[in-house]
Amino acid sequence: MSDDSIGRAELQDAARKAFGEGGLGQDPATIWDLIVEMGWLGMTVPEELGGLGLGAEAQGVIHFELGRILAPGPVAAHMMVIEALVKAGRQDLIERAVAGELMTGSLRFATATEAGGTLSGTLNAVPDADTASELLVVTDSRVLLLPIGTNGITLTERPLWDKSRRLFDVTLSGVSADAGVELAGSNTASDLVAALKAHLLFALSADSLGGAEAALDMSVEYLKTRRQFDRPLAMFQALKHRAADMKTILASAEALLWTHASEGRTAPVTQPVKAGALKAHAARVYHAITEEAVQFHGGIGLTEEHQCHLYLKRATLNEALGGGADLWEEQAGRQIAAALLATA
Amino acid sequence: MAEASELETLRNEVRAWLVANAPATWRQESIDPDAFFRIQRDWFLKLVEGGYAVPHWPAEWPGGGRSLAEQKVIYEEMARADTPRLLLSFVSTYHAASTILECASKEQQERYLPAILKGETWCQGFSEPGAGSDLAGLRCRAERRGDVYVINGQKIWSTIAQYADKCLLLVRTSNEKAKQAGMTFLLCDMKTPGITVRPINQIHGDEEFAEIFFDEVEIPVSERIGAEGDGWAVAQATLASERGLTLLELSERMRGALVRIATLIRDTGRLDDAGVMRDFGRLATSVDATCALADQFLAWRIAGEEQVGQASLIKLRYSRVLREFTLLGLRLDDMDAQYHAPITFGGGMETGNWMADFMNSYAWTIAGGSDEVQRNIISERMLAMPREPKNWTIQGDAA
Ligand SMILES: Cc1cc2nc3c(=O)[nH]c(=O)nc-3n(C[C@H](O)[C@H](O)[C@H](O)COP(=O)(O)OP(=O)(O)OC[C@H]3O[C@@H](n4cnc5c(N)ncnc54)[C@H](O)[C@@H]3O)c2cc1C
Repeated sequence: MSDDSIGRAELQDAARKAFGEGGLGQDPATIWDLIVEMGWLGMTVPEELGGLGLGAEAQGVIHFELGRILAPGPVAAHMMVIEALVKAGRQDLIERAVAGELMTGSLRFATATEAGGTLSGTLNAVPDADTASELLVVTDSRVLLLPIGTNGITLTERPLWDKSRRLFDVTLSGVSADAGVELAGSNTASDLVAALKAHLLFALSADSLGGAEAALDMSVEYLKTRRQFDRPLAMFQALKHRAADMKTILASAEALLWTHASEGRTAPVTQPVKAGALKAHAARVYHAITEEAVQFHGGIGLTEEHQCHLYLKRATLNEALGGGADLWEEQAGRQIAAALLATA
Repeated sequence: MAEASELETLRNEVRAWLVANAPATWRQESIDPDAFFRIQRDWFLKLVEGGYAVPHWPAEWPGGGRSLAEQKVIYEEMARADTPRLLLSFVSTYHAASTILECASKEQQERYLPAILKGETWCQGFSEPGAGSDLAGLRCRAERRGDVYVINGQKIWSTIAQYADKCLLLVRTSNEKAKQAGMTFLLCDMKTPGITVRPINQIHGDEEFAEIFFDEVEIPVSERIGAEGDGWAVAQATLASERGLTLLELSERMRGALVRIATLIRDTGRLDDAGVMRDFGRLATSVDATCALADQFLAWRIAGEEQVGQASLIKLRYSRVLREFTLLGLRLDDMDAQYHAPITFGGGMETGNWMADFMNSYAWTIAGGSDEVQRNIISERMLAMPREPKNWTIQGDAA
């Protein structure tokens, strides 16, 4: 099956049916089981390795839809690990992962150090480490997969403002490197890490724009129903124009997302800076829209019972995960300027 | 979509053709309107000869029928070769061609479209002093007398009307029905007796647009597009092309012009300034997003999936990012941007004369329906937010 035979719209439709339209507040286990059942964890795994063999566009749709319903859970980290397993050609591990055995890793690309056969360091922003079976560990020369129960690994949950995610600090001290399997050695590690960064940053971009779309839809609907001054608030041009601006930045960020995905069809996008710039852009749009969403809702938007704040918090977390805008925009600036000046 | 290798072949062809044919010294020469006119006319005719003037036209026309991907390649290469932006033929190849292709009779198409490829230029006569954003309020009057319409009234802000051979003219034929229902669309020869054109200087010094006065001007009824009273609908075709179609080329040109900012950063020794590189990276990504939206818009159009408001999305995005683009140049050029430098006529939106470019960027936030008008369209037509009530009074207004 290729990207062309299963269209974006088709997959989106399937996802919306599966997750339900008003799918907020679903139980993490239910969503996880659904994704496993549909085979979506193996979305980008080649068919000969037991996956669906779809490309970045399909991956984007799933994360977009997960973002839209503020899906809880570690899907992005898990799919990043699967990507590593695919690149390493580890069919045995892929089968376990696609079947739903959770494998996790740092959403900040934190690294451990290796000396004398032992690993040490703290990996931050590791989702759902307490229910995972395996942990992705990146050092400056290797990429390893370790059973998370290995001696010397301790987990500390770090409660977040964003309650849709659960992140852990995972500390390694005197962990035997032999306990894990090597997915990439010194020759291939940096390429693999670059590919994983690009993969995750793209997933975060899609998650951001799915959430942004939901937050904007919700706000526009609210403005149409809420009445003040004997008219729907949606009649006030001051608010209409802000909503139009939000729609506009969302539409162009979405166009950028799908362009990025289709570029990855011919040659997988393994370029972290490009994906980083996309992520910075998408998260900025998500932030802008959710910031407006709270304001558009007035007092109710500031209450815990309303959904606005869930999007707002996830948006700001998305800005930080995978590295912030300061990092990626600077790197993109340097890279683009260098390329332009080299050919000018 | 064309194969990657076919696109590469096209790219090489265009590049080689441009090396042989692109004007080289036009930036230095384009310092007065006469030179502008000559350079623009010659370059357009060259492009027609080469088959690259109207890649967005249908396949029946020489040089037309290019796919989205092929059009992009052509525009990218032109931006790369720093060719003049086609301002003189802008309205003829986009606004006039789209309107004529979509709404005019076969006979009119055969009369006007080949002439465009021979260099006939058009202007757009929609706006009036009393009818800008509220275009439906226009008053320029056309009265039917036998086989002719007799025109009396005024148009304003008409881009390059002072050079134009023909005009897309929107006039009022009736005051009886709703404002929109009394409008008619005519094709007007600018050499007809009774027409006076007066150029207007813009804030950066270019005579880009002009006023047109009509005094008992006779236009044959055969020069009408659509039926009498259908002018508003025809005008929508013109505006849709202005808002959407033109922006594929213009956003590619903006992407091509990022090199100007990169060069400015290098020449002022700030390639290692993290803050500057961050602003540049952010802008370049916004430019990419604008190009992606322009592509998306054209893809929708080609697939017949265009919806109301999509052209407004791309126009609003482009106008805002162009403003950011020129403002970054203005800031980075620091004091140098403040010293008055002659403008390059027809140099496009990003000439590297940053103060002039910044001022010129208002063309896109005001012309073709201002940003505010696009926001109205997006919110009302795409987001289905209600319109304001029509009736209003202001305390103290004469009762
Ligand atoms: C460079 C340039 C080239 C042009 N070329 C052409 C041309 O070739 N042919 C042609 O016919 N016209 C042309 N125009 C005219 C252009 O279409 C009008 O200037 C434009 O539609 C705005 O009209 P106006 O200037 O009368 O401003 P106004 O309509 O008076 O608007 C003034 C301000 O009020 C805002 N405003 C108006 N109505 C609303 C509303 N309902 N809600 C919120 N805000 C509102 C506007 O956005 C603007 O900020 C050109 C203009 C420029 C600047």
